[in-house]
Amino acid sequence: MKGLNILLRKLIRTGAGRVRFAMAIVGLSIAMILILSAVQLQSNYNELLRGSGNRDSIANFMVINKILTDQNLKNTTLSDDEINDIKAQPFTDAIGVLHNSRFKASIQSSSAQFPFYTDIAFESVPDSFLDVSTKEWNWEASSGFVPIIVPGMFLDIYNFQFSLSQGLPQLTREVVKMIFFQVNIYDENGVAHSMRGRVVGFSDRISSLLVPQSFMDWANEQYGTAGNKAPSRIIMRTKDPGDPNLISYLKEKNLSTDQDKTRFSRYRQVVDMVVNISGATGLLMLLFAILIFTLFIQLTISSCKEEIKLLLTLGASPKQLSRFLMRQFFPSNIIIITISLAIVCIFQYWASRLLAGQQVHINPYISIETTLTALIILCFIGILNFINIKKYIKINN
Amino acid sequence: MAGLFLWFKNQSSHMTISLHEVVPVPLKEKLLQQASGIWNRDLVFTTPEWIKIKAPSGTGKTTFIHSLYRLRTDFTGEIKWDDRNISTLTAEELAVFRQQKISIVFQDLRLFPHLTAWENIELNRILQTAYCEKERITEMAQILGIDHILQQPAALCSYGEQQRVAIIRALVQPFEWLIMDEPFSHLDKANAGKAAALITAACKERDAGIIITDLHDDDHFDYSRKLVL
Repeated sequence: MKGLNILLRKLIRTGAGRVRFAMAIVGLSIAMILILSAVQLQSNYNELLRGSGNRDSIANFMVINKILTDQNLKNTTLSDDEINDIKAQPFTDAIGVLHNSRFKASIQSSSAQFPFYTDIAFESVPDSFLDVSTKEWNWEASSGFVPIIVPGMFLDIYNFQFSLSQGLPQLTREVVKMIFFQVNIYDENGVAHSMRGRVVGFSDRISSLLVPQSFMDWANEQYGTAGNKAPSRIIMRTKDPGDPNLISYLKEKNLSTDQDKTRFSRYRQVVDMVVNISGATGLLMLLFAILIFTLFIQLTISSCKEEIKLLLTLGASPKQLSRFLMRQFFPSNIIIITISLAIVCIFQYWASRLLAGQQVHINPYISIETTLTALIILCFIGILNFINIKKYIKINN
Repeated sequence: MAGLFLWFKNQSSHMTISLHEVVPVPLKEKLLQQASGIWNRDLVFTTPEWIKIKAPSGTGKTTFIHSLYRLRTDFTGEIKWDDRNISTLTAEELAVFRQQKISIVFQDLRLFPHLTAWENIELNRILQTAYCEKERITEMAQILGIDHILQQPAALCSYGEQQRVAIIRALVQPFEWLIMDEPFSHLDKANAGKAAALITAACKERDAGIIITDLHDDDHFDYSRKLVL
């Protein structure tokens, strides 16, 4: 086999289109780097968006309400139809309704040393939407105790603004969780019903005073008077808060959410643009590179037309010749694609090191998608080469 | 030297080449007017027959050889290798026949001009599982007196030398039929005799048949049949 290949190499010279070959190699290399980078960039972005342990996990939950304007004052509730419509959107994973209290309530200190009193209102959400997990998060009518979750931001405001200006002590989350206070709920006659309350957790996800759903249902039933039963706010779990469809949907329906949580939308548009431009340029170049490569194969075969014809006359099989020609052309493709993949690997490692310095963690190794893309393109080029070789051997015979 | 050869042949099988009313299209009008031992007849050649076909100029000698080897298919009628109509063979099947069963010496030799004489022969030896050892090439070249030009490009060899190279090339592959088109046209009597002896030995060893065309009568081989084209 080796001896035959040496002789065939003497007969079928591949030097005829050296310039074309060099052009095809350069084109293919750039195309591969562009395409693989685009795929890798997309995987990195997906990883950042969906990766576990990501500091941006709060971005996956969004509290949504109507934008308050002069026209919809007192009419900001969300109807069942509106909620169902949101539920039906492709970007929605799950919807939880925030139920608000329909009774008056206040809390006050049960200690004379640290007096306070304030009117408040509560909300409740299904437990699966909470970012606090504690055993104390349940309520029983007989216990006379209400667990409460408050926004972490409230304590920050107290510690870093209020306490400083009032000469009050700063409180850690642990200390606050130890303070019992009195919760008063007023019935329709204004009579207060008291029970004990305590903060059991801090939420960074929902900026509201939360009580267990079971307590809310009971208290609304028992004491609820005022207001509409329909909810004004809902919480949405979404795979991708950066989805531009989500942003445009909210805009169209006059809904609002925490702007910060949708900031990914802008990032995503930029990433999408870079991925699209790089991918499209890469594909176009790949197309041209393949075209040049095909021309190179065609030129080589037709410049050895007589030799190939005589080889077939003497009994060489078309398969033998195709195999030989594949061996002449295909290895360069394998080398180009391997080198391109290696360059993207190096780039990815370098990028992960660079981003780690800015607390953004991406995988230092390239994704499976990128490797698969390289393999698929390699197979595609291989098959194309093979078909071309077969075709031109046949034409030239 | 027979010990150097491998013995592939299954003794019981005989390969046939059969012709059924074959007439080349370009020569049709002319050929149908004259009597022929081959054109427009039914013939069956069976190995190990040695057949001489005497062909005066203009009777389509080379057309016949090329049709027999399936280099051209512009004829009416039917040619079969064993029971296969050769017009229906695929390129791959054709290659198998040419590698294993039918070897040829063309009138116009058809060597690769840029390859050396030795490379031209070697190529046909290793195109399939090698039939003989490579030393056999030198031995045969010595017998035919061309061992000194083996490393020369074929294009630089004289026609007589090229003819001997083409003969050796045909003998280094396995075959059941050896087809030759005026193989000794440029050899003197002594060299033609040596070449014929070499061919005889190679065919006997393989139990192979010969189909040879020439302009004149000759006694190079012990023919079992003589036909006139």
